[in-house]
Amino acid sequence: MALFVRFWGTRGSIPTPGFKTKRYGGNTSCVEVRTDESVFICDGGTGLRELGQDLIRRATPPPMHLFFSHMHWDHIQGFPFFVPAYADHNVLSVYEIAPGQTRIRELLTGQMRSEYFPVSFCDLGAKIQSGYLEHQGKLIDGVKVRCISQHHPGTSYAYSFEQGGKKVVYSTDNELDLWLADPNLCITSPESLRILPSEFVDFVRNADLLIADGQYTEEEYPTRIGWGHARTNTVVDLAVQAGVKQCAIFHHDPMQTDDDVDRKLERAEERARRHGSNLVIFGAREGMELKV
Amino acid sequence: MLSLAAVTDSPTKRPLRDDATNVLGVRIHDPLDRSVEPSWLEQREGPGAPARFLLQQPESVVGRASDVDFAIESSLISRRHAVFVQNGPEVTCRDLDSSNGVYLNGVKVHSALLHEGDTLQIGDVVLLFHEGR
Repeated sequence: MALFVRFWGTRGSIPTPGFKTKRYGGNTSCVEVRTDESVFICDGGTGLRELGQDLIRRATPPPMHLFFSHMHWDHIQGFPFFVPAYADHNVLSVYEIAPGQTRIRELLTGQMRSEYFPVSFCDLGAKIQSGYLEHQGKLIDGVKVRCISQHHPGTSYAYSFEQGGKKVVYSTDNELDLWLADPNLCITSPESLRILPSEFVDFVRNADLLIADGQYTEEEYPTRIGWGHARTNTVVDLAVQAGVKQCAIFHHDPMQTDDDVDRKLERAEERARRHGSNLVIFGAREGMELKV
Repeated sequence: MLSLAAVTDSPTKRPLRDDATNVLGVRIHDPLDRSVEPSWLEQREGPGAPARFLLQQPESVVGRASDVDFAIESSLISRRHAVFVQNGPEVTCRDLDSSNGVYLNGVKVHSALLHEGDTLQIGDVVLLFHEGR
């Protein structure tokens, strides 16, 4: 059994169509984690629209489980254009973080009010049911799903998906740099390993694939502190500390061209090698699918 | 020198063709030429290199078997190793459960949408992808 991971939207903050962002893609956050039985969808950015188109082309609509890191625009805008939500024979499970919560459902409903969108949430044909995760994680169609809170304005959540000894972690919109045990070390000794909280390192530990927000370069970050995103180098250090096998840098800054992302990744690879790590590091790009 | 009459003549006599060059020897692309150049793979390393494979069919299979579209004799390549699928202007490469996998720019992938300049490693074969136009 394998987990298949496909990137449908990798851009942060706002869609960036155009020639300069063609390789990594311009759609905002949406990642599909697929098993033989089910589809687990991480975030509903504009990439969700194309995932929806692809799902309706598949032979039988699989059970679909939606998880949101948080509800900022770039993570929910694709939902009203998610065609499977309009078909009566489909079942979508939308997961809240804790039992009794209705926040995600309310916000999805809100962005489909007539002021914003012509079709209302209650007119969607699919059966849209609310699920929730338990503290220790929840087994969903044979996949153990866990979540943990992150550092982002308004809070965000990372998710891990485990099946058959394989583990995929989706962690976007997390300002790791505000969690550093010694933030001054980035200035006094920029090459030193940046130590992150053990609880979060343990959550990521031994992931076969970590998908992580590495939006900013070292040069960009100082003017964007508090915006909720990490430096690529800090993500590298997280992956090294946690013994991750592969790390996909995700949530590319909308100002970064494909060539900019390439340069960011070259520096990230150099950093991993300097730490003595064999970590495979690459840029998440639309249309790329990995078998984990 | 081109005359106005030559430029406005019938399409079969158009003086500017895709392979035309100007006085500086620079290739001139005729904007009226609607011919389609398919995407293609440039084999840079491995048995048979250098070689060029045109992606002209909806699906093209690369492998060691004799009945595939691009047959490459290498023990590191599976009989049916990977398929290149065309969807309009887009080309996707998908691993056909090969033994040694498909690497896109050094990352092992199950499938990927390809872009100009992407490097694919299939066993000991290295292919460079070129977009058609």
